[in-house]
Amino acid sequence: MARARNRIAGAVSVFGELLITAGVLMGLFVVYSLWWTNVLADREAGRQGDRVRDSWAAEGPAAGPGALDTGEGIGFLHVPAMGGGEVLVRKGTTPEILNDGVAGYYTDPLASALPKDPQGNFTLAAHRDGHGAKFHNIHKLRDGDAIVFETRDTWFVYKVYKTLPETSKYNTEVLRPVPKESGRTAPGRYITLTTCTPVYTSDYRYIVWGELERTEKVDADRTPPEELRAS
Amino acid sequence: MYGWIWRHLPGNAWVRALISLVLALAVVYVLFQYVFPWAEPLLPFNDVTVDGQ
Repeated sequence: MARARNRIAGAVSVFGELLITAGVLMGLFVVYSLWWTNVLADREAGRQGDRVRDSWAAEGPAAGPGALDTGEGIGFLHVPAMGGGEVLVRKGTTPEILNDGVAGYYTDPLASALPKDPQGNFTLAAHRDGHGAKFHNIHKLRDGDAIVFETRDTWFVYKVYKTLPETSKYNTEVLRPVPKESGRTAPGRYITLTTCTPVYTSDYRYIVWGELERTEKVDADRTPPEELRAS
Repeated sequence: MYGWIWRHLPGNAWVRALISLVLALAVVYVLFQYVFPWAEPLLPFNDVTVDGQ
């Protein structure tokens, strides 16, 4: 009798320990997702960004125009309304690329245009949480906010004109060269930011559209355009 | 389960506590380095792109 009771008590205690273990495991996964991946990604993005800036400096101002280095990164995204400083932009939107704490421009399912192209849609994706969380504050963007893309010799100044707070992940229409869903019907120079929503999950996608307002030549001191000087 | 591990560790209570700590850190290391990076893409928290799939 006592032995049977001991066995039951043992089984209950093992079951309890398994539950505690599962809880600790999930807690650790949250720590990993929301903190550790940011540490790794910010470190990696910083390293890659430095390399891009070094290569720009090494080439000097005399190098030909439009010399976009698509290998490592093509430039930096500055969004004052999101805070958090500059975001390196690289080619591709696979997890391997985005997990380095960068924004990627789409090659699939619809290839992105580049800012220097006479018209088209510059489509970008980045993480909302973890892995640098570069688009974490995308919901703070309002119409008229500036999105500035910096290349070696040009500042591209875009202005937000439309946000779509929730759409299906299958909605590739948002990436079209002329994003009809944003209300535009004529070809132009657009920028599209995509990330997941709601925060901490990826049930839907959050879309922000902007349109090129003007470009500025980068001067010798790399003086940022006025939109970036205010912050 | 944990009691069983504790009873099978050598040394006195201090040595056992130290070994337990090292074991726990080793488990955390394996989780962060191998298990979580493997599990993450399988969980629906971090897909940020729109695509047709």
